[in-house]
Amino acid sequence: MSSDPGTEQKVVHVTGDGIEEFDSHLPNWWLVTFFGAIVFSIGYWFYFQVFQIGETNQAAWRREVAEIAERSGQNVPVTAQQLAELSKDPAVLAEGKQIFVSTCVACHALNGGGVVGPNLTDEYWIHGGGPEQIYATVKDGVPVKGMPAWGPQLGATRAQAVTAYVLTLRNTHAPGGKPPQGDKFAQAN
Amino acid sequence: MTTHLPVIPPKSSLRIDGTRNFVYPADVKGRFTIARNALFYALIGVYAALPWIQIRGNPAVYLDIAERKFFLFGATFNAQDIWMTVFLLTGAAFGLVFATALLGRAWCGWACPQTVFLEAVYRRIERFVEGPREKRMRRDEGPWTMNKLARKLVVHTLWIVVSLVLAHVFLSYFVSLRQLFDMMRHRPAEHPEAFLVVMALAGLFYFDFAWFREQFCVVMCPYGRLQSVLLDPDSLVVGYDAGRGEPRGKVKDPSRGACVDCNRCVVVCPTGIDIRNGLQMDCIACTQCIDACDEVMDKVEQPRGLIRYDSQNGLAGKPRRVVRSRVLVYTGLGALGLLVATLSLSRHERFESNVLRVQGAPYVLDGDDVRNAYRLHLINKDGRATTFHVMPEATPGVSFIVPLPDVKLESLASADVPLFATMPRSAFHPPRTLRIVVTSDLGDTRTMMAPFLGPEGGATPHATLGATP
Repeated sequence: MSSDPGTEQKVVHVTGDGIEEFDSHLPNWWLVTFFGAIVFSIGYWFYFQVFQIGETNQAAWRREVAEIAERSGQNVPVTAQQLAELSKDPAVLAEGKQIFVSTCVACHALNGGGVVGPNLTDEYWIHGGGPEQIYATVKDGVPVKGMPAWGPQLGATRAQAVTAYVLTLRNTHAPGGKPPQGDKFAQAN
Repeated sequence: MTTHLPVIPPKSSLRIDGTRNFVYPADVKGRFTIARNALFYALIGVYAALPWIQIRGNPAVYLDIAERKFFLFGATFNAQDIWMTVFLLTGAAFGLVFATALLGRAWCGWACPQTVFLEAVYRRIERFVEGPREKRMRRDEGPWTMNKLARKLVVHTLWIVVSLVLAHVFLSYFVSLRQLFDMMRHRPAEHPEAFLVVMALAGLFYFDFAWFREQFCVVMCPYGRLQSVLLDPDSLVVGYDAGRGEPRGKVKDPSRGACVDCNRCVVVCPTGIDIRNGLQMDCIACTQCIDACDEVMDKVEQPRGLIRYDSQNGLAGKPRRVVRSRVLVYTGLGALGLLVATLSLSRHERFESNVLRVQGAPYVLDGDDVRNAYRLHLINKDGRATTFHVMPEATPGVSFIVPLPDVKLESLASADVPLFATMPRSAFHPPRTLRIVVTSDLGDTRTMMAPFLGPEGGATPHATLGATP
């Protein structure tokens, strides 16, 4: 084995502490990874920067922000028409009911008759009984009276779903409901 | 202080020109080899068995990173508990540093997965298909024959199969065995991430254990690179007793030392070094040279231990010391980390509960009453589903509304439970604190404090934050 010329190493110098240092080459496999990384970086540069085939980080960020904005519909105004249509969609109503049960029941009772919060099943509304008004109440809340703003927690789509469900509760006169509060609301539709 | 040893070419798995000196370790027999193999198979057994063991309906070790649910030997953790790992990891790290100061690279030679899988599985397969060292070397140097092709094909196929199995076992720690089997019965396109992870891992295992091998320990492993600061002259290392062995020579030479220069310690070395050159960074303390040398010493009727576990001071004939200041410091730091980790783990509670206020106004004035709205945030931290019961402690003058007093929560599920407290304005005198009791069907009870807020000055109706509806 000692005749193997590759393993014979020359001592190049001895440092102050008596540590001998050999003049060995870097391992070839290590050099492959090193030069491979350089070659990769050239391709990477052309792919992302020169020809802009790949999506850059900034572009990906902009796309994702746009996606989230679209999904949450945060800045899209909702019309009474849209909400009225949603309240006829069984899938939306099912989702709305589920949100109502998990979020609203505590104050408004399971049938909407009201506990701490007002009765949602009569003709009287404190903050207006129109679709946009109910949506605004759900989304922004009435903090001074204890109604939290649910928009940030639920997101626009789910807030609309629960609004659609509340629209179906109107004028159902749930048994055992709270006495009317607010003003009588004349329904348009 | 330069070396006292005769000038001999240093040996390594890397040649001076950068090419790889492929190592063909010879077979070795002996007490350390037997003990090591026993430990290797025990460790592999633990690795393979842990995903199968169920404790309280959950796998013994199941780290669900995607869902941030962590099951460890019957305890359940979520992302909020991650702070405990700081103490666990510092304790383990200083434990390893402590073991290194005392026992040298015992971890590398006895318990590191790189050594365990390489020695107990991959080299075993190679030895079984391709034969002992000399045969393997001759065949690799020789031309490509059908025999060589067939043997290479078999050994690489077996390695790939083993790598795939090991990768699947590894994944089962993160997705649980049940989900793993479920995924294996479906097409890869239905779970592309898991499939790619397993394939990448299997590829990495195959590359590492079939080709890269000791290069990992010699060039890449940070623990190996730290040895020069972790060891001191009193740490246990695998070393050659130069005082007894030199001058090395043929058996018949009467002036020689104990070393018969048989080269056995070199050919059994898995990193291709010559232990007689002294302590080297490449040495993973695998003890194969000890067994090899002991066997030769028995043959030439000399006492064993020319190569042995000893400290550098011990090998030089100086007094050996076990207790040194660095050992004490490492013990203290390791024990501190493990102690805090143990304490925090043992105090780990089976549910989390917080009283929060509903966003918005701190209180609401409703006629002659003051009302506060709370949210009780509950997290079930047990491995089992359970039902929680929320009961405000009866307080004179205060009426409570708890719309959902019983909440059933799955393991690691959470819920917000609303709670309203009302009292007459005339009865309100700050500061007031209400007590809310939460019990679970698992037998835990906790009382929480809920500060009750209201207008200053009790009955005066003006200058308040709240508004009458």
